[in-house]
Amino acid sequence: MSDHGNHSDHGHAAHGPITRAGETADERLAHGHDDAHGHDDAHGDDDAHGDDHAHGGIVQYMFVFAALCLLTTMSFFTYSSAWPWRDQPQVGWAFMMAVSCTKALLVVLFFMHVLWEANWKYVLTIPAAMMAIFLAIMLVPDVGMRTRMVSQERALHMARPSDVKLMEQAAESGGVSAPAAH
Amino acid sequence: MTASSISIPHGHDHHGHDHHGNGDHGHGDHGHITLQYQPGLPLSRGKLIMWLFLSTEIMFFAALLGSYVVLRFGAPVWPKPHHVHLSEPIGAFNTFVLICSSVTIVLALEAARANKSSLAKRWMLLTLLLGTLFLGIKAYEYQAKFAHGIYPAVPHGRVYEKPDLYYGSAVRARLGEPAIIDRLKEIDEAPAGSLKPEQEAARGRLQQIRKIVASPDQQAFDLAVVADQVMPLPSDHAGGSGGHGGGHGLNDVFPELKLPVVIPGGNMWASTYFLLTGFHAIHVIVGLIVFSILLLYKLGRQDAGKIENAGLYWHFVDLVWIFLFPLLYLF
Repeated sequence: MSDHGNHSDHGHAAHGPITRAGETADERLAHGHDDAHGHDDAHGDDDAHGDDHAHGGIVQYMFVFAALCLLTTMSFFTYSSAWPWRDQPQVGWAFMMAVSCTKALLVVLFFMHVLWEANWKYVLTIPAAMMAIFLAIMLVPDVGMRTRMVSQERALHMARPSDVKLMEQAAESGGVSAPAAH
Repeated sequence: MTASSISIPHGHDHHGHDHHGNGDHGHGDHGHITLQYQPGLPLSRGKLIMWLFLSTEIMFFAALLGSYVVLRFGAPVWPKPHHVHLSEPIGAFNTFVLICSSVTIVLALEAARANKSSLAKRWMLLTLLLGTLFLGIKAYEYQAKFAHGIYPAVPHGRVYEKPDLYYGSAVRARLGEPAIIDRLKEIDEAPAGSLKPEQEAARGRLQQIRKIVASPDQQAFDLAVVADQVMPLPSDHAGGSGGHGGGHGLNDVFPELKLPVVIPGGNMWASTYFLLTGFHAIHVIVGLIVFSILLLYKLGRQDAGKIENAGLYWHFVDLVWIFLFPLLYLF
């Protein structure tokens, strides 16, 4: 990013392309990345090349799309009866969060082109992400633990695991003939 | 510095006194000054603003998602997705729709950059349609919640936390409303064959719960039976949606009665669900408005910056849903 001033804007500076003035190093990176995957032909067929736009490429987008679909299926898999950790929901939660973070990373890096941006991306994203994490942590004492110490009135009216059990028993008892026994 | 002072190398500190202070990139060999604008950040103004906006949006949704997570894991009881009539396949399909729309907007951007404006228009239109489809499915899901008495607020909501006396009296109050009394009389006196078969079968159960809520010595267990008859909580998700009692509750057989239901933890669930998906839906609507406006442009190379900014926003909306889907539907 330090070299961003050294390049001209290929003649159309009015909108957007200022962005790309400093991108040469990253561009080369993007090319190398594509070549490694053997589908740089995606760039060959269109004029986007001349537009100083080297990253992306339809084939790469399609790969990302396939990965996203696959990952969605994977997190959906936790819901199916074939999921082996049925009795330990925590495993499924951790798995789904890992999958979601991977998906988010794919979208941010490829679709939002962050992979090819200059270093300003860290200036914006890292503070926002840290604030977001602090924000969530700060909610824990007031909001998350609000049911630990509650007034008696509230305790009377809030659902307890025992109520769920009662509902289950009622469902098992098989209906309306039961209450006569009480 | 002027062209005459060619002996002074670039980048030294004298040019600050010069009246052409900015021109340190002037190319001396042409004999005139070329001023070059150097932006503080190597990105266009619109994109910078969009990214700043998105970083505030990160915090906005982090607050919402964070409160959802701490509420959900701090609650003594949280309803299972089937208790609140969430359908995982529909949620997964909606995720797929949003991912597809993310791809189409990226393809619109590519087409615009290649100056293929009609292609860009078509991708943009497809994005708009996919976004609308997402909203349509969301509306269908909301409708399913409303049909079961799950609303974000009290005037319409019929969700009770537990089968206690308050629930019993709510059922009794509902059964005592004039319109419902008339309807119950109709049901009771209907000759055999005039009702639907499942209504015929449920008639006896309906009479039983009326007896229970009217009795002065109702027990918690009796009221749990009432709640189970009105709207059974599906037992553990057995692959398909609702193995037990799906469609057999009295509220399903006689939807016009609209009896109060018991969903332990259901009210807090409804608050968070509607808040999260509602704010997300508002973002989707804003995105759709932006796409509609963009469709008025030619969408050639000169509009690529606009599409890029709209795309950044849309990908963010997609990103939020990527986290919302597992948190709401699968946790």
